[in-house]
Formats: sequence, structure tokens, C-alpha cells
Amino acid sequence: MENLVNPKLRDELKKFGVQDWEGCYHCGQCTANCPLTEQGQLFPRKDIRSMQMGLKKTLAGSLEPWLCYYCGDCSKECPRNANPGEMMMALRRYLTSVYDWTGISKLIYNSKIAEFALIFIIAALVLILSIIYSQVPDRSLWITPEGGVAINQFFPVEYVHFGDMVMFVLLAGLLISNIVNMYFKVIVNQGIKVHFINYFTEFWALIWNFISQKKFSKCDSKPYWYVHLFLVTAYVTLFVMVVAFLTWFQTDTIYAWYHPQRILGYYATLGLFAGTLYFIYQRSRKTKENSKHSHYTDWTFIVLLFLSTLSGILVHVFRINGMALATYYIYIAHLMILTPMLMIEVPFSKWSHLAYRPFAIYFARLKKAAENKQKEANMEATYKLKESIA
Amino acid sequence: MEEYRIGVYICWCGTNIAMMVDVEAVVEEIKKLPNVTIAKDYKYMCSDPGQDLIVKDIKEHHLNRIVVAACSPRMHEPTFRKALENAGLNPYFFEMANIREQVSWVHTDRIEATRKAKGLVAGAVKRVVHHKALNKRYVDIHPATLIIGAGVAGMSAALEIADSGQKVHLVEQCNQLGGMVRKVDLNYPYLNSSRQTISQLIKNTEEHPDIQIYTESKIDKISGYIGNFRALLSNHQEQRELEFGNILIATGLKSFDPSIIENYGYKRIPNVITSADFEKMLYSGLIHCENGKEPGNIAIIHCVGSRNENYHPYCSRTCCMTALKYINQISSAAPECNIYDIYADMRAIGKDCEELYASTSKKNVMFLMFDQQHDLPVIKQNGNGKTVSIEFTELLSGESIHIQANMVVLMTAVESQANNKEIAHLAGISTDKNGFFIEKHPKLDPVATTTEGVYIAGTCQSPKDIPDSIVQAKAAAARILATIAKGKVQVEVTTAQVNEDICCGCQCCASVCPYSAISYNEDKKVSEVNEILCKGCGTCASACPSGAIVSKHFTDNQILSQITGVLEMQIETA
Ligand code: SF4
Ligand code: SF4
Ligand code: SF4
Ligand code: SF4
Ligand code: SF4
Repeated sequence: MENLVNPKLRDELKKFGVQDWEGCYHCGQCTANCPLTEQGQLFPRKDIRSMQMGLKKTLAGSLEPWLCYYCGDCSKECPRNANPGEMMMALRRYLTSVYDWTGISKLIYNSKIAEFALIFIIAALVLILSIIYSQVPDRSLWITPEGGVAINQFFPVEYVHFGDMVMFVLLAGLLISNIVNMYFKVIVNQGIKVHFINYFTEFWALIWNFISQKKFSKCDSKPYWYVHLFLVTAYVTLFVMVVAFLTWFQTDTIYAWYHPQRILGYYATLGLFAGTLYFIYQRSRKTKENSKHSHYTDWTFIVLLFLSTLSGILVHVFRINGMALATYYIYIAHLMILTPMLMIEVPFSKWSHLAYRPFAIYFARLKKAAENKQKEANMEATYKLKESIA
Repeated sequence: MEEYRIGVYICWCGTNIAMMVDVEAVVEEIKKLPNVTIAKDYKYMCSDPGQDLIVKDIKEHHLNRIVVAACSPRMHEPTFRKALENAGLNPYFFEMANIREQVSWVHTDRIEATRKAKGLVAGAVKRVVHHKALNKRYVDIHPATLIIGAGVAGMSAALEIADSGQKVHLVEQCNQLGGMVRKVDLNYPYLNSSRQTISQLIKNTEEHPDIQIYTESKIDKISGYIGNFRALLSNHQEQRELEFGNILIATGLKSFDPSIIENYGYKRIPNVITSADFEKMLYSGLIHCENGKEPGNIAIIHCVGSRNENYHPYCSRTCCMTALKYINQISSAAPECNIYDIYADMRAIGKDCEELYASTSKKNVMFLMFDQQHDLPVIKQNGNGKTVSIEFTELLSGESIHIQANMVVLMTAVESQANNKEIAHLAGISTDKNGFFIEKHPKLDPVATTTEGVYIAGTCQSPKDIPDSIVQAKAAAARILATIAKGKVQVEVTTAQVNEDICCGCQCCASVCPYSAISYNEDKKVSEVNEILCKGCGTCASACPSGAIVSKHFTDNQILSQITGVLEMQIETA
């Protein structure tokens, strides 16, 4: 039913990290202080109200949580300590579960046990597959004739690449279907009529914002933005190399340090390593608004990312130093961490914001364009009416 | 004929008067007038040295009339009259000219302002010679008190007065004492039992030897004046007469009937009930819908009939906190029940009320804001017959929403009793546009009325909660006890007087007197002014077609000579 007030939703939202939903008394300080809110996209107060009232449909159609980059300015100024910034964060978690049609996301956000069980199951599957594939009869082949590490013998890159591709298709399928779901919830169900041409004219915004994280830079906290940008670019670089170009990236030949394969690898590794460490440090210190409150899923994401990076570094170190067995074991461990991390985080959890954010900006622009069109039409109608009266 | 020796004092009022009026020039001009013995100016006439100046001059120069040209007489006429008294002169041999509010504060041309001031002072000088000595009058106070209404206010005042040994006649129209509070289960903010509180009060009242209780009775007539009232009291069987010196009106209020609000469908849609109905339910200990089942969703709507020009413009004052009380009661009786509190503004006035709001917000309740002036929610019955849906625009979100509820509690307004006008007429007081009794001064004297000896307390003056009603009741009791303790009260001396030789008996005067001070003497066939009830407003004097009424201190002679004085001076100084 349309806009039915639902008091039960508040209990549900608590699981996503909403702490004190009755704290806010709607003074509007937070919206006044937010550097990112603007006419037509007012937040965070309005979303807090929808949460308090349990307006499911309004919330599902709200793009505002994605437009918030959690600078925390609002929480600092809130006279009731209602933590508006964290409310927006909790809403992003909730919306991730709303867009996900499989229900897995909701399961992960609502139960620690479910999340860890999923991680272990996927890790175990990877382990079993690794054991099956690495049963090469002739163990001497594990070493190159020069005595180096023959990772492509132990673990043929084609197999891994095939697995990669399967995973990629699966992840992309899930993520895209979730984005389509999001599109329905925020545009179609809200009765917004988008002019066909605008789907193309506004598309650059999607690309540009994904690359530059430009909106984020509007927040006052510059270092935070740099670290985040570094982390995102590193992540994307590595993701592309590992998933799309693994045959180029995983070679037995050790190239010189200035080879693009190694340069890109180092850049990405450094970005991930420094970035994850920075966020782990911030979340433990709890001094900044945006790291004061951590949901367990935040920790899972950052820890899995850090461990993937660390194991990746170890694979590299062991390999160039010719430590064959160590390389192989750590390689399996690396896969056991990386796979669940990607499988869980990309379509169902924290990682997905990398996709939802730019899409939210895109959808918001579509919405604005539609509204402007509507306004123009209204004005024209009024004008015509006036003329006919005259 | 006595020789008039007038002393005239022109006040500077600091710079208030002196900056726009040339006070020295006024003094020079006034000195020339006949009968003026001395004329002086001084910085602050109302100060102690200023008053002493008058006293000293009266003694030294044997002055017998005084004029002070200063501010409005409202504030300092009593001050200067006192000074005259201190010097042994009758205080009514005094006249004040207002050259501040009527001259310096309202004019910008110093020459014209000075000229006007001269005129006003000359008028006062001309007038004051016609002043007569008037003597203060006192009346004895009958020590009994009549209290109308035996709710918390009436009973609290009755006990207060009776405890100090004075007799109280307590009149109640119902067959029981206790008023509105008797119908309430728990009271806010501490959620303790009203029943207990009120039964103790009732018991103490009933057992008090000095309180005479008349239930199921009504007052038919009140006559007399402060200190000496009489009333006719009747019940089913008999009529009796009471005598008393003071009256306290504490008749309380009643609930508004919300069935005239179309949107809410009260009496039309099942399970839409008023706060009074809900209170009965709580009193009986069972919250239930019409089909006997416990409701899973209860909506509470605030300001029903309050704060809306179509019904009552005022705030009913207690319903917000009563709603919070309901939320607490519902959530302890039915913890699973969803409560929707549809409010316009949460008015948590009073000690510990904000705290009640804060703690109630943590219950299973959702607060939703609506516009009580222009956009009342619409309640519709659903097809299933079990639930109703409530639709409105929620203000904090701006969304049009709807709620499904099994029961709706309307926080109905309170309104003045239907017979307030009648009572006001009996007691010679007035009601405001909402039918509540009007106090003497909204800030400085919220307990007394414009009729001396008549006091008001509790919700008959305006909606209020229990502590505020009791505060007002006890304040009234203290005022009444103070007059009883004095034994006498001073009454107005500048009253009206009918010249029986001229009066034609038309009774025009009686029909215009706002204080019911005039009665008709059947034997003599003339009207008579009761000098104790008369406030000297002068209305009758101007209404009398025969010119038979004289207002003391405002005789034709006094006023005409004042006008002459002003005009002569204006011609003189033109
Ligand atoms: S979250 Fe805080 S700052 Fe924002 S409206 Fe609510 S009380 Fe005000
Ligand atoms: S955290 Fe920053 S961006 Fe997000 S709502 Fe608050 S002020 Fe706005
Ligand atoms: S007390 Fe509250 S509910 Fe009652 S009239 Fe006033 S604002 Fe409305
Ligand atoms: S109006 Fe004058 S004439 Fe008429 S009754 Fe009164 S005093 Fe007498
Ligand atoms: S002066 Fe006023 S109060 Fe006195 S009798 Fe005349 S009308 Fe009544």
C-alpha cells in the first residue's frame, strides 16, 4: 500500500546500525551543515524522518543516502547527538539489502553468523578446487628448469582465469540486476518520467563521478578524500588486472621492476595496503565521526581486503625469491580470502557502493532533468492558459 | 465663601517632560492665574523630596488646593493624594494635569507643546476649586464565603478557608464532589492515581465542620456587595438564603463534543472515541474495541476542537500530556500495541512534563505531526469493519501518509460551561469571547475580578492542569482570608448619586450600569444608587435624560470649569 506508516521498520533498521531513531527532533541543523545537500536533494534530516515513520517506499526510492559521503559534519553539529551521519550510513546498508533481490544481502547484514558461514563455505570450496587442480602427477614440473617458481604449472593460469571469468559473469550479473532493481525502485516506481535522450546526455556524469569521486572532494576533509581515491583506483586497477587480464598479470617470467606489469601491481598493492591500514586505524581510534561507529560488516570488508592484499604481497615476495612451496601455499590462501571477499562484498555488501554511488548520481540527474521538463511543461501550460484568457 | 489658596507643581519628569515643554514658562504663566498662591517646577515630583515639597508648602503657605502637572494619574494620583493626607488636607482637593502622555511624548513642536501644557494646567487650576472633600468609606465583612463548584479548585480553596476557622458554603450542581478529576484514572506526569488524590480531598471536605456542602443545588440570585452578599440557593426540595462576604467561582469546564468535526466521524465510525471515553475504559481496567478485542494499533489525535478557528481558538492545555499518559498506560497494558500519536505541537508545559515526553518517546510510539489549523486528518472506515484508516499530510516529512488503526482516541478540547454567562450575570462579572470568566488583570491580578469580593479559580478562568488550578484556588483563599482578617474593606468614594427630586423613574440608568449598582425604589418611584456597588464609572450620569445623576468628583460644574480653563488659556496664549 502507498505510503503506509510502518512502525516495525524501525526495529528492522536497528540491525543495519540505526542506534537511536527517536533522538532526532527535526531542527534541521544537519541539513543546514551538510556540504553536499542541495535544493531538490535535501538530506540527511528528511531521510531520518522517513526512517522514523517507516515509509518503506519513500526510503526505497531515496537516492540521498548515496549522495552522502559521510564527512560527519552533520553529526558534529547535531544538538541531540542523533548521529545523522551514521543514520545515513545505516540507510546505505539497508538500501543495499533492498536492491538485492536474492535476499543474501539482508542475511549478511542481519546475522554475523550467516556472514562468517558464507565466507567459510566459499573459502572451503576454493580450497577443495585448489587441491583437485593442483594434483599434477609429476611434482618436478612445479619448478622451472631454471629452478624458479612455476606457478603456471602448479596452478595453470587458464584454469584460474576460467574460474575468474565465471565469477566475473556471476558478480556482474548480480550487480547489474541489483542496479536494475535500484532503477525500478528510484525511478519507475516513483512515477518519474525520464525523457529518452537524457539517458545518454547524463551518462557522462556516471563515468566522471566513478573515476574522480568528485562529489567526495566537496567535503571538508581533504586527506580522507585522497586516501579514499587512492584506495579506489588501486582496487579498480587490481580488479581489472586480476579478473580481465590474469594471463598477462600472472606469468612465470619475472620481468624487470619497471615493466608495466610490475609498476601497476606495485601501485595497486601500495594503494590497497596503505588505504586499508588507514581505515583500520581510523575505525579502531574512533575519533572521526565517520569511523566512530562500525557495523560488523564494515570490519569484515576492511579486514578481508587487507588480508587479500597482504597474502598477495607474500605471493609476490616468495615468487621472486624462488620459494616455490611457500608461494603455492600462500597462493591458495590468497584465493581463499580473495574469492569470498569478492563474492560477498561486490554484489551484497559494502563494496557495492562503488557501483551504487555513481549510479545514484546518474539517477539523480535523470530525476532532475525529468523535474525540469515537468516544470517547463507546467509553465508553458500556464502561459497558454493566460494567453487564451487574454 | 472660603478663600482658595492653590499650589501648582510642574514636573520635569527628568527630561521626559522638560525636553518638549518649557516648564519654567508654564510656571510663569500659571502664577498669573487667580487663586494661585504658589507655582513651582521640580525635577521629579513623585520622588520623596517632591512629595515633601508639597507637604511643606501646604503647611507654610496654608494651601487648600493642589494641582500637579506631571504624568498620567493612573500611576501617581494615589501618591500625591497621600501627600495631601499627610499634610492634613482632604485627598480629593487635588487635581492632576497630564503633560507627559498627552503632551511631551506625543508632540514635536516645543512652542505648541508648551502652549498646550499651559492650557491643561489652567484647566486643572480652574477645576480644583470646585472639588469637594470626600471621605473614605468602609464596609464590614461577613466572615462566611460562598464557593460555587466543588472540583479540585473549589475544594482546595474551601479547605484552606475553613482550616483557618471561617465558614464556607460549598455549592455543587452534581450529586457528588470532585468535578472533572473524579473521572480521571491516572494523572500526569507521575502517573499516580487521581482517584486516590481526589478521594482524600473529598473526604477532608465532607468531614470539615466549617464547610457546609450543598449538592445538586444551584444559585438563583446573588445580591449585595463585597462583605455583604446574599444568595438564593435552591435544590429539588427547597430554596434557602445564604449570607456571606466573599464569593469564589470555581465552576470548571466541560468537554467539547467532536461529532461536529466532519473529518473525524465521531459517533458515525465505530472505535473512534473521545479522551473521556478512553479514560472510562482505563478506569475500568480494560482497553478494548467495540468487538471486545484488544486493539493492535491505536491512533491518538491531538487538538480535537482546539487551536482551530472553526472550533476553539485556544489551546486546551492538558491534552498533550494526557496523550503521553495514555501512551504509557497503553504500552504497559498492551506492550505489543503500536501507538501513533498525531500531534500539532507537543506542549509539555509544567514541572517534569518535558521529562515525561522524553521518556515516552522511547515507548512503542510513533509521533506524527499534522496541521491542526488547515489540514485535519480524515478518518475512514475500512471495508473489513475492523480497522479505520487515517489519512493526512505529515508535516515533518511533507509526505501524504495513511495509518491503519483499530482504535482512534480524539484528544477533545475543553470548553467553558454552558451556564457561565448566567453565573457571570449573577455575580456581576464578565466572560471572554470563549465563555471563560475574565480576571481583573491578566498578569497582575489573575485571581480577582472587576467586582470586589468576587474571585475566580481553576479552569473556569482558562483551561489548566491540577496544580495550576490549586495554586489559583489557594491564592483566592488567601485573598479572601485577608479581607476577612481586616474585618472591613474600603469602597469607592467617587460614586454616582441620584437627585430624587429630578429623577423621573425611567430607569435608563439601571439598564446601562455595568455593575448592577442601580435599583428602583417602588415606593418613591425613583432610582437609587447602591454606593457600595457603584464604581463611579459615570455611565449612568451621561445616560440620564433628566440630568438627575451626579457623579461625585466629576460633576458638571467641575468638568465645565476645566474646559473653560483650558479654552481661556488657549485664547490668552494664541
Ligand atoms: S539529526 Fe540532529 S541536527 Fe539533524 S534534524 Fe535531527 S536533531 Fe537536528
Ligand atoms: S555525513 Fe556529511 S555528506 Fe553525509 S549527510 Fe552528513 S554532512 Fe552530509
Ligand atoms: S494541550 Fe496539546 S493537544 Fe491540547 S490543545 Fe494544546 S496543543 Fe492541542
Ligand atoms: S436615568 Fe435618571 S431619571 Fe431615569 S431613573 Fe435613572 S436617575 Fe432617574
Ligand atoms: S457611576 Fe457607573 S457604576 Fe456607578 S451607578 Fe452609575 S453606571 Fe453604575
